[in-house]
Amino acid sequence: MPQTTLTLGGMAGQGLVTVSDLLLKLLARAGYRLLATQDYMSRVRGGHNFIQICIDADPVFAPQPAADILAALDRRSMDEHLRELTAGGIVLHDSDHTPPTVNGVRFAGVPMNRFANEAGNPVYANAVALGAIAALLEIGMAGVDALLREHFGKKGNEAVEKNIAAAQAGHRHIARYYAETTRPLQPVKQKTRMLINGAQAIGLGMMAGGLRFVSAYPMSPSTSIFNYVTANAAELGILSEQAEDEIAAVNMALGASAAGVRTAVTTSGGGLDLMAEGISLAGIAETPVVIANIMRPGPATGLPTRTGQEDLDLALNIGHGEFPRFVFAPGTAEEAFYTAIHAMNLADKYQVPVFLLGDQQLVDSYVTLDRFNAARVRFKNYLADPAKLPDPYKRYSLTPNGVSPRLPYGTPGARVMYDSHLHEEDGHITEDPGIVRAMVEKRFRKLKGMAKEPGAPTWYGAKKPLITLACWGTAYGAAREAVDALNGAGIKAGMAHFNRLAPFPSGEARALLAKKETLHTVEGNFTGQLARLLARETGIRTGVPVTRYDGRPITARFIIDRLKEVHGNGKFKRVSL
Amino acid sequence: MENSNAFRYEGEKAWCPGCGDFAILSSVEKALTRAGKKPEEVLTVSGIGQAAKLPHYLKTNGFNGLHGRALPPAFGAKTANHRLTVIVTSGDGDVYGEGGNHFIHAIRRNTEMTLIVHNNQVYGLTKGQASPTSDKGMKTKLQPDGVILTPFNPLAVAIALGAPFVARSFSKEIDLTAELIGQAMECGGFALIDVLQPCVSFNKVNTYQWYQQRAYRLGPEHDPADRMKALAKAFEWDEKIPLGVIYKNPRPGYVATVIGDAKPLVERDVDMEKIKGLMARLY
Repeated sequence: MPQTTLTLGGMAGQGLVTVSDLLLKLLARAGYRLLATQDYMSRVRGGHNFIQICIDADPVFAPQPAADILAALDRRSMDEHLRELTAGGIVLHDSDHTPPTVNGVRFAGVPMNRFANEAGNPVYANAVALGAIAALLEIGMAGVDALLREHFGKKGNEAVEKNIAAAQAGHRHIARYYAETTRPLQPVKQKTRMLINGAQAIGLGMMAGGLRFVSAYPMSPSTSIFNYVTANAAELGILSEQAEDEIAAVNMALGASAAGVRTAVTTSGGGLDLMAEGISLAGIAETPVVIANIMRPGPATGLPTRTGQEDLDLALNIGHGEFPRFVFAPGTAEEAFYTAIHAMNLADKYQVPVFLLGDQQLVDSYVTLDRFNAARVRFKNYLADPAKLPDPYKRYSLTPNGVSPRLPYGTPGARVMYDSHLHEEDGHITEDPGIVRAMVEKRFRKLKGMAKEPGAPTWYGAKKPLITLACWGTAYGAAREAVDALNGAGIKAGMAHFNRLAPFPSGEARALLAKKETLHTVEGNFTGQLARLLARETGIRTGVPVTRYDGRPITARFIIDRLKEVHGNGKFKRVSL
Repeated sequence: MENSNAFRYEGEKAWCPGCGDFAILSSVEKALTRAGKKPEEVLTVSGIGQAAKLPHYLKTNGFNGLHGRALPPAFGAKTANHRLTVIVTSGDGDVYGEGGNHFIHAIRRNTEMTLIVHNNQVYGLTKGQASPTSDKGMKTKLQPDGVILTPFNPLAVAIALGAPFVARSFSKEIDLTAELIGQAMECGGFALIDVLQPCVSFNKVNTYQWYQQRAYRLGPEHDPADRMKALAKAFEWDEKIPLGVIYKNPRPGYVATVIGDAKPLVERDVDMEKIKGLMARLY
């Protein structure tokens, strides 16, 4: 469990993001390891949003079910999160909102609105809150001061000074009246780290993997990847296009890919549905494309701004007809960066669609990470050398490994034909059964090479566990923390995390999971999609899957509670979370 | 006829004898030959339908994609390598029906490419259902009491959206079509050429004779720069159908605006120093 967990709540449009961004920067620069999870409603103003910031000296992998500090920018935030406070927890609130009496909870009232008005405008309430939070964590004003200067500098001197005055008022108020109501952070060795969210990690990975063309239609929660790439597109020589719909987005990417550049599309469930036919086209036309699908719960519109892992079956099966594909689901932002690079390379190497599954929890959560290792980034151009190819060029030449040398449009002397029909080696439409068979077999010969690419499930925890968890994607963090808690209580536990779901690493999965006595999958869906995949691909039967399907992130406590329901309380009594 | 043109495909073409597609194919070959293009410099893109088979029967680069989805991959390919001459050649069902949304936004996007729509006012490949441009009253198996929907007017829509080049031809007018394609390729933006074309198998209303009785060539008195006059011409249909350049509205295309003089995307390399720079900013 992290040293301190802070929940920051308020209405949409109240400036919560500004406070949280500044606070995260402040803590990151002080050297802390952070995990900040965002919980927001599908609305632009009002409602109730919150951000949970876990602070520690070591990496934090999963959101927490409880908070040590609640910073409530409005009355509703105080009411909603009071019961989540740990013993001795602190509530920071506006003095205008009279708090209820709750045993074991300390309240720190700050006249946020009054201080803001004194500084010149109600909008400065955010700065008051920032100053007060810093004081509760016993962080001095110097860092806050510097940060506000940096952040508001471009808005002019007046904005800077007024924000600083407001922050100082909040800071001073805590120091003066609530000196005993603080929760100081233990100092850490300072180190330069990145403060990065999953969307940036995926975007950065795609760009490091040679992305040249990205097209998408905005859809939460995938839009933040598109935003990040677009913001840096000009500098990196990438073309970014907002398409009229997801159908256009994927087809645009395929055209660009045929012209020889690396392409990606970003979308979420419903948008992916619309791309289905285009993905099938990528399959038969053997056109590389990376599809980042950022999952949200529900069929149709579901819960647009919430998290879930319901699209594994979809990614494994989307598109009519049969064709090979890769499906990846990284567990952390760091893994997402390297997986995105890997995805860009593999799409090009095998000329197949590659899925990168993330979820709202991954893309919207901030973490502190050491800089990615640029030396680990291997960029290889898989386009063929025309001088080494026989004349005339055949786009779909039958090769032993199933991969046909690919030339871009515009190659002197070559006619490059991409076709959505069953086709001959040169791309010409055909219905000849012999050629059809040969082409289908050629495409599936790629699977042999694809299966040999890196992508084995990883193992974490005890070597000979009594309890084993299996998960994919972002369930990793909570499962890992649950495994730590179980081992901490003397119950030997371990977990397998699947980053690659297709081609499924059956041999490695069997090696890790066969004959495990108590085995459960942990997933953000109702039906246990990994459990069924495991059974189908390996014959391994798992117990009742631990599933969360209410749109909220899985926590370690959630997993342990479900295990108690299945196996009885007794064994888990000593597990502390 | 330029029998020795570099674009000529000699194999079998799976079109009905007498289909207007043959003539449109000849026009495309002619226009490319006259423009001095090399096959490798040209990309022909299509969706699905009888007309959409054309890229298979033309010796250029090709992308024969999905029904209704010819324009998006054409955009992707053109922006990835803007040195390519991109021609999109597909039918009325494909471009105006299934792909109607892309048609609208492709004109708004104004990418430098030529769209040739083989408009026979009927679905050919699926055997004779109404298309978006079928005239009211046309009876088919799926419209047994006749079409009641108002026909889509591609020219009027394109003019309303400010397309830089809007023209109409008739498949039999091979030279006119070739001439219009030539002008379209030079227009510096998105060009629409709607080519009326009989469907000898399924359209018993709009036959060769039907078109020939109505089609006439616009003379020098028509000013294609005049938007309202162009619109009036776009609505001429039942008695007289104008052929030629209906509307001209030169404006910078997408590539000129977004990419300019820069290298094509396909010639650009990954710069790891810039990636490192992005990481340094995440602090």
